[in-house]
Amino acid sequence: MEFNEGGGNSVMPVLQAENVQKSYRMGELTVSALAGVSLVVQKGEFVAVMGPSGSGKSTLLHLLGGLDGPSEGEITLAGQPLSKLSDNQITIVRRRKVGFIFQFYNLLPTLNAEENVGLPLLIDGQSLAPHRAKIAALLERVGLADRKHHRPDQLSGGQQQRVAIARAFVNDPEIVLADEPTGNLDSKTGTAILALLRRTCDELGATIVMVTHDPRAASYANRVIFLKDGQLARELSNSAPGHNTQAIMDVMAGLE
Amino acid sequence: MFGSLPLLTPLVLALRNMRVRWMRTALTCLGIVLGVAVILAIAITNESTLRSLRSVFDEASGRASLVVLPTAGDGEGLDETAAARAAGQPGVVTAAPTVIGTTLLARDVESWQFAVSLSGQAVGSSLQILGVDPELDPLVRQYALAGGRWLQGEAYEAVLSETYAGDKDLRVGDDLVIVAAGGQERLRIVGLVRREGAGLLNDGQVAFVPLPVAQDLFGRAGYLDEISIVAALEVANAPAALEALKDRLGERLGRGYDVTYPAERGRLVTQMLSTYQQGLSFFSVIALFVGAFLIYNAFTMTILERTRELGLLRALGMSSGQVLGLVLTEAVTLAVLGSALGLGFGMALARGLIAMLGVVLASDLSAFSVPPGGLLQSLLVGGLVTVGSALAPAAQAARTSPLEALRTAGAQAAGRPRRPAWLVGGALIFVAWAALYALPVRPEAGFAVGGLAILLLLLGATLMVPAVVGLAERLVRPAAVLAFGAEGVLGSGNVRRATGRTALTVAALLVGIAMVIATSSLSGAFTHDLTSWVETALGGDLYVRSPQPMREQFERQLAALPGVEGITKIRYFAVRAAASALASGADGDTSLIYAAIDPATYQSVGEFQFAANQGDPRANWARFARGDALFISTVVADRYQVQQGDTLRLVTRRGEHDFYVAAVAVDFTGQGYIVTGHWDDMRRWFAQSGVDRFTIGVAPGYTSQQVAETIEARYQAARNVSVETTEDFKQKITGLSAQSFRLFDVLGLIGLVVAALGVINTLMMNVLERQREIGSLRSLGLTRWQITKMVLAEAGTLGLIGGAFGLAFGYVLSQVFVDAVNAMVGYDLQYIFIPAPFLAGAGLALGVSQVAALYPAWKAAGVNIVEAIKHE
Ligand SMILES: Nc1ncnc2c1ncn2[C@@H]1O[C@H](COP(=O)(O)OP(=O)(O)OP(=O)(O)O)[C@@H](O)[C@H]1O
Ligand SMILES: [Mg+2]
Repeated sequence: MEFNEGGGNSVMPVLQAENVQKSYRMGELTVSALAGVSLVVQKGEFVAVMGPSGSGKSTLLHLLGGLDGPSEGEITLAGQPLSKLSDNQITIVRRRKVGFIFQFYNLLPTLNAEENVGLPLLIDGQSLAPHRAKIAALLERVGLADRKHHRPDQLSGGQQQRVAIARAFVNDPEIVLADEPTGNLDSKTGTAILALLRRTCDELGATIVMVTHDPRAASYANRVIFLKDGQLARELSNSAPGHNTQAIMDVMAGLE
Repeated sequence: MFGSLPLLTPLVLALRNMRVRWMRTALTCLGIVLGVAVILAIAITNESTLRSLRSVFDEASGRASLVVLPTAGDGEGLDETAAARAAGQPGVVTAAPTVIGTTLLARDVESWQFAVSLSGQAVGSSLQILGVDPELDPLVRQYALAGGRWLQGEAYEAVLSETYAGDKDLRVGDDLVIVAAGGQERLRIVGLVRREGAGLLNDGQVAFVPLPVAQDLFGRAGYLDEISIVAALEVANAPAALEALKDRLGERLGRGYDVTYPAERGRLVTQMLSTYQQGLSFFSVIALFVGAFLIYNAFTMTILERTRELGLLRALGMSSGQVLGLVLTEAVTLAVLGSALGLGFGMALARGLIAMLGVVLASDLSAFSVPPGGLLQSLLVGGLVTVGSALAPAAQAARTSPLEALRTAGAQAAGRPRRPAWLVGGALIFVAWAALYALPVRPEAGFAVGGLAILLLLLGATLMVPAVVGLAERLVRPAAVLAFGAEGVLGSGNVRRATGRTALTVAALLVGIAMVIATSSLSGAFTHDLTSWVETALGGDLYVRSPQPMREQFERQLAALPGVEGITKIRYFAVRAAASALASGADGDTSLIYAAIDPATYQSVGEFQFAANQGDPRANWARFARGDALFISTVVADRYQVQQGDTLRLVTRRGEHDFYVAAVAVDFTGQGYIVTGHWDDMRRWFAQSGVDRFTIGVAPGYTSQQVAETIEARYQAARNVSVETTEDFKQKITGLSAQSFRLFDVLGLIGLVVAALGVINTLMMNVLERQREIGSLRSLGLTRWQITKMVLAEAGTLGLIGGAFGLAFGYVLSQVFVDAVNAMVGYDLQYIFIPAPFLAGAGLALGVSQVAALYPAWKAAGVNIVEAIKHE
């Protein structure tokens, strides 16, 4: 296989978006949320997506995860072009290849922490028993080993988000998509969560795409892409994750 | 643009809230609509049915204020001269004589069958002929001519009801060829009357002929069957004056004449209807509960899930009073809207029910009247329950600190079951049990107490549900997992989230299932007793009958036919018990049917089904055969509080006389208002003659069919007899009873529909409320089908729990129903366990819940993931 432009990596990218557009019909009006975005994410990458409010970040993330279909363009996830798949097939791809982290955690209130983490496996029709150790390890990793049997309403916001992170990784996903995972948390907890994501990325070789408003959060990524009015405006790569907040802030200021 | 935004009064906020959440508003409204409608529909049905049937009897006497009838048991009737004597009394304006006979069209004789509808009226082809005075009768009854002319003079002519003419394809100018005492007779049809006023008599199967013609036709020369008295206005409108006239007339006419108020005649039939009425009334109690419940269910749900929003409003500075006002405004708006729609729907529902009842009772129920009480009741329940169910959660929301309300995640809003609830529930069940079984209840209070007890039972059971739903869910979860796999765990677990809501849904199912079980158990108990009575009491192989009483000597001729092994005769006529015989507290109607039998031959073809503890049947028969004795039905025993060995006083032609009660027997004839006496007693005390029915036992080696054909060939033409096999007759009776219980099936069905709506409502609310959760499950990779299965599993668990409760409660309710009917009607029904209704109930619980879940499941599967997870 020949070399390709982006990263000089001959391995097939985990995620590939080609000229993705999304427009919403509102009566007579058509609102364009994404006006043609192309993006390649390689395995092991941690990509942050930034941009002003309404620039299409969440829309992009939803399309990347197959939660919604693009109006135009193609998304290839783990080697599968989503437009060729049925709704059910996309659901299965999501179940086995993607992990989601949301701003509002979205845990199931009826299940305890352990069961919430194992939920994607349950959904896949697997028994939790053989995965006990793995779930325990994930909970350990997010620092909740002693909260296994707590239900969401017995956990703090930060703790709930950590359960959600553990859940996102339980199916060994090809890619984890996060939409403002720290948006709802105080800065100290937020930092801890980001450090956790960064560590998980490094240690498990996970691939993460994270939408955020927060330049400090974005600084944990290897690469930051900036959206404006539904289009890719800038791209920064970050050789020293956890630093370079200032550069990101400058770009953002330029966009707004 | 602020100009268009008026002050944010509670009304504006409430309306806007209702508009934005239109789906929820619609569901809540539907709950109120159904609740109001069910209550109203039952009230209307009850009232209208009663009124329809009453009107038939009111029409019979028309404007008459009093009616003169022969004293019960007097075979010949009234002396013709009595009319003139009555007319001569001061205060009497008109005294119109009538002769009544029943006959058949000559061409119908062959196909004639003994048919009796449950309201006691003859249906089918038999025609009632009223001999009236063409001059006087129009002053009493209302005749609306639809064609031709009214009767003139004493010619052999008839005015026919339009109904009958239509049925039989007869026109003015045709001849009406009927079977009379002396053979076939022809009457020229000169006019038709509409189906109103007198045209309603005998359910429209009626013809009017001049009085002398009727006397001729039925061999009643010189006699009358009744005299309708129209009193002067000032007398008719003053109860005391009318009572005085009644007494005076009775005195002047002397022995053998009964002067009564016209309404009393309708009583017997109305009494026969009472089983239905009571069934419906019971159901109206349940309707009240179910209606209130639906409303409460729907409204509590809308408020509970908004705890958070209300907390937000509090946080923004709304006082708790304002929050309360907001919720109440919404409640009142919905109550008004829902009640208005409910009234309309209730009326439509009532029309359907009445039509169904018309079929069951084989009468045309044309009246449609809305009882003000029922209207008020349904509106009150609609309004009060809506506002009441809004109050509790609203007050709670107003009380909770804003912070707390905001912290509570929407999905968790229902809270835990309050501990006292099940205590209260248990207490209610105990009170209900005590009211039903432990307290002595006077018969006239029976319905009120029974109804209240059932209401308490339902309420108690509902309150018990939250306490056990957790345990119940754990028990049925394996079944959900078995049926739905991993999604079963999620779905089944969901029922534990809002125990209050689950409790209400389970209660809806419980009520529906319990209704099905209780009504079919009641009909089962009834059918069981009826069948065993039919099997033992309706002995013999053939019935020989005629529209006119047959001569006794006919017995010997029939007995001589080949294949006839045994034969016995029976005669039915109306008698009256002495007023003094009535148990205290029972109402005044003492009409009974007297069945005269010949003990010498009766046992050659039939048996009596004696009630429990009546001693040796042979001894009973021996006592009966000595005369001056009766076998009385369980109903009569109950009503007159007499037992074996007591006496029952009847009004005879020779004054009141005490008859010895030789035994109490199970007898459903005439709804149980029957006594059986000795043939010789009939002659001696009641001066009756003629045979209504011969029962024949067929000799071995002959088939019933063969013997029937022999009899028909020999006597049908000459004596107008019809022969029917006992088997056919039994089938007809059991068929009729099955038909009458179809009404209860319909009621059970309504219960089920309500249950289904309860399930739909709950699941819909759950799905709406958990959009976000469903969205995130989808994002985690749950397919649409898996979501569907999850909702179905939740419904299945609800169904299983509701079904289990429903079975248990249905078991209890069945016995209560049977006991209540026994207490009120005087039957001696035994509760018997019939597995079929329970199996059906269990199946229905699951089926109904699954069907009801289809739409919510479909909605859930269609949730737009992005929309669902986007907003908090
Ligand atoms: N369902 C929809 N219907 C119509 N327009 C929509 C819809 N969803 C999103 N949009 C529009 O698409 C654009 C992009 O929205 P999106 O949610 O992706 O923004 P965002 O970058 O995530 O903003 P924020 O940082 O505020 O979350 C916005 O202008 C929004 O109004
Ligand atoms: Mg966004």
